[in-house]
Amino acid sequence: MSIIADISEKLQRGRAKEVAALVEQGLAEGIAPSEILNDALIAGMNVVGEKFKNNEVFVPEVLVAARAMNRGIQILRPALANEGIEPVGKAVICTVKGDMHDIGKNLVKLMIEGQGIECIDLGVDVGPEQVVAAVRESGAKLVCLSALLTTTMMGQKDIIDALVAAGLRDQVKVMVGGAPITQEFADEIGADAYTLDAASAAQRARLFFEEGL
Amino acid sequence: MTALEWLRNLPKSGRALPILSSPAATLLGVTVGAMTQDAELQARAMLALAERYDSAAAVSMMDLSVEAEAFGCRLRTTESEIPTVVGALLADADDLESLRVPEVGDARTGIYLEAVARAKALIHDRPVLAGMIGPFSLAGRLMDVSEALVNCIVEPEFVHATLERTTEFLIRYAKAYKSIGADGIVLAEPLAGLLSAEMESEFGASYGKQVVDAVQDEHFVVIYHNCGPNVAQMMDSLTSIEAAGYHFGDAVDLGTMLSGMPSDRIVLGNLSPVQVFCTSTPDTVYAETARLIDACKGFSNFVLSSGCDLPPSTPIENIDAFFRARREFVG
Repeated sequence: MSIIADISEKLQRGRAKEVAALVEQGLAEGIAPSEILNDALIAGMNVVGEKFKNNEVFVPEVLVAARAMNRGIQILRPALANEGIEPVGKAVICTVKGDMHDIGKNLVKLMIEGQGIECIDLGVDVGPEQVVAAVRESGAKLVCLSALLTTTMMGQKDIIDALVAAGLRDQVKVMVGGAPITQEFADEIGADAYTLDAASAAQRARLFFEEGL
Repeated sequence: MTALEWLRNLPKSGRALPILSSPAATLLGVTVGAMTQDAELQARAMLALAERYDSAAAVSMMDLSVEAEAFGCRLRTTESEIPTVVGALLADADDLESLRVPEVGDARTGIYLEAVARAKALIHDRPVLAGMIGPFSLAGRLMDVSEALVNCIVEPEFVHATLERTTEFLIRYAKAYKSIGADGIVLAEPLAGLLSAEMESEFGASYGKQVVDAVQDEHFVVIYHNCGPNVAQMMDSLTSIEAAGYHFGDAVDLGTMLSGMPSDRIVLGNLSPVQVFCTSTPDTVYAETARLIDACKGFSNFVLSSGCDLPPSTPIENIDAFFRARREFVG
């Protein structure tokens, strides 16, 4: 088995230490960092995402695979920088004000990172002003907002309104999700996308950047 | 009639058993936050709902922060929502050494027990069930839900050791409900629904069964709630818990669950608490209720219910529409 295939397979099984060691080995053997990133790490995470959508693996397996990917990325990052390879894009992600639920947000974050997108995670209970500041500071082109409660879902609209007021709305795409969220609600509050699950969110995020944001 | 006979006869009676408690705050003109701190208010809320609706049973508040708080978890409280757990008590197995398994009555568990005792004294025309968390979901709150899921793979011994402690407490807590006269419990395991079937068997069902074995009998039933999306793949494991009733969420097709579960287990569900009850119109609630009744009418073990506990902000007219549809389509 090639190192590339081996990294992908170990990532899918959540073997973080082995992924890190294999990435180091791959770099030492002269494999291009971009090849390790795209053909091993992102490709492996895509397999996990597809299996997750098909109910072949479940949330724990996705979480450990994503952590294995992050270990690989940590090893790879200096080499990627040397090659002048930037992340696919930057996204700001959070659970909105008044809402402490983080598992959905964490899952989306990990899956988005699995697409080679850098995520700035603001955590839970996050207000509009924090999102506006993070977008300004980071130059992120994507904002992902999670809400699990009917009483907090309007927090997504508050953040979109704040991005408009700050003159940043045209610079970013806004994705929303969470148990009470529907496509209809996303349309009402002026979000750019709603997805039902984390794997779809990651694919949609990748599309945003590939479409030339 | 014993509690077990009541539950087994429920499909024939056609009565609905939604997980309905906190919307009563609207009926009483109080906040949900106040209800979470006040046994008398909770009992009055259960009575107000029992007087308004012909639900099959009165169910106490599904406040799944109560048990975690008793273990020492910090909470974030608001007036409009059930409290949520903040942070984690357990970072690794070493932290278990200092983890005290609480006494029944610690923190707000005493309030919730008293609420059910008071409700039993007020409500005589139907059983009173207590809502409580299941062992795995409680372990998730102690170690952070994401970490708990990861630890099932990377540190399974840590998860098992935590589960031993949560199960120990929950058995005592369930026994306390039994001793004050409750007719049963709704044991909520939402987090276990995110596991694979194999992991659910190891970390969910095996501990849920210990609770069932400790308390369930003719006079005290356990309704096992799992609103996760993967329950259709967990039929064997769920059946092994041997709960008298199983309550499923709207992430699954209830017909699939009714087909797969043994016909002597009562299966309850599963109108979406958010998309149907909370954020749609009475007309939609009515139509969706009628649709579910029609879809499940061929199953002798089906009981109409919500897919999870109804959010505090559920409009009363939507709950009215649910019960109106039940009356008109079931009789």
